Amino acid sequence: MSLFEIKNCKKNFDGVPVIKDISFKVDEGEVVAIIGSSGSGKTTLLRICTFLEYMNDGEMTYLDKKVVISENGKAKYIGQKNLSIDALKKNKELIKIKNYFGLVFQNFNLFPHWTVLKNVINAPISVEKRNKDEVIEKAMMYLKKMGIENKVNSYPCELSGGQQQRVAIARALCMEPKIIYFDEPTSALDPELTREVLKVIKELANEKRTMVIVTHEMSFARDVADRVIFVDNGVIVEEGNAKEVISNPKMERTKKFLQKYEE
Amino acid sequence: MNNITDIIIRVFSGAGASSIIFFSTIIFSLPLGLLITFARMSKLKVLSGFAGFLISVLRGTPLMLQLFMWYYGPFYLFRVSLGLNWRLPAIIIGFSINYAAYFAEIFRSGIEGIPVGQYEAASVLGYTNSQTFIKIIFPQMVKRVIPPVTNEIITLIKDTSLAFAITYTEMFTVAKQIAAAKATIIPLLVAGIFYYIFNYIVAFVMGRIEKSFNYYK
Repeated sequence: MSLFEIKNCKKNFDGVPVIKDISFKVDEGEVVAIIGSSGSGKTTLLRICTFLEYMNDGEMTYLDKKVVISENGKAKYIGQKNLSIDALKKNKELIKIKNYFGLVFQNFNLFPHWTVLKNVINAPISVEKRNKDEVIEKAMMYLKKMGIENKVNSYPCELSGGQQQRVAIARALCMEPKIIYFDEPTSALDPELTREVLKVIKELANEKRTMVIVTHEMSFARDVADRVIFVDNGVIVEEGNAKEVISNPKMERTKKFLQKYEE
Repeated sequence: MNNITDIIIRVFSGAGASSIIFFSTIIFSLPLGLLITFARMSKLKVLSGFAGFLISVLRGTPLMLQLFMWYYGPFYLFRVSLGLNWRLPAIIIGFSINYAAYFAEIFRSGIEGIPVGQYEAASVLGYTNSQTFIKIIFPQMVKRVIPPVTNEIITLIKDTSLAFAITYTEMFTVAKQIAAAKATIIPLLVAGIFYYIFNYIVAFVMGRIEKSFNYYK
């Protein structure tokens, strides 16, 4: 079953096209890695999928919910007249769909004034109105899985980058999303901390969680992802089985990109 | 010696009036400042433009002149005579609105300094705009604005003496009257010491409040 689909997505910033025409879908239980050089449009793509940015044209579907349809060459979001970030923020229809996905940021973006536990439990309790005791129990389970159960009462500033990112992953998990997006989750970390974060993401992949990961870690993408999408200059240049594409790329552009990682 | 005790007691009697101005201004200007911040940051051009103009006028003209306007304005503009009872309200309105303008700019810079990632994380988790402000942005803003707000509060304590301009009897007015009547500078020194002590206490309290936010960075 396909959980998410985006079709003919186009996005430009002040007339400059960043995403020219991108379509892909994500099936349940699948791990998709999006790779490509900086400025290729992959982060923008993730921001569109998570409603932090709007697309100019295209279609988007979460499960059976059409979130965006194309109308006269322009994107039309449900429950929304204008195409603007402001309108996205105010859109009540989109808030309901936001519980289909979670996003883990490059810079963690934990709330610094809250303890680790509150960071993880507040949204399920105050946004989704779930039972507090059950949420705490869930949160403890996820924090334990992330190996930070002894830090529940610490504040983010007392944690290492790797620990902060693991809290951010627990925060996303506690919302019980159907898809988790990762936006270069290890780019702000040193190699050692990178390893510990990749390890927990790998565990999630083993549990068959549906994930879309924008990453620069090629060996990680090859090992963990089922499918890889190589984005360059706003279009998908190559996509397919992660091991095949990364070990034996067919397109010239992909070969050139991957060569840089071997050096 | 008796003489000095007498001076101290009389000057101190004016401190009550100064405190009324001080505390009333704090109580009214902080929330009012936040409202002006919202107006200033509004997407509505008319509202933000108006707030910007208001802030610029309030910060760009002397507070003493504004006090005159609030006190004498009703009479000269509308021929309404409000009498001496209008003096304290006029002072409190003048101070509160003037300080609200300064606080508004402090709050705005406090809000704008919060990384955009905080808003994005909140958005993805499904918080509405108002939940995001109340739960995530406002508490972080408070921590950021404590040092500049402390500065303003210390200035306010000294500024309360401006009420003297419309002959409202607060500590400085009393001190000046005694100084003139007895031809001595001692009452002014005493007043100076009282202002200093008051400020010392406020700085201490604000320092404590600032420290209480040190549990996170």
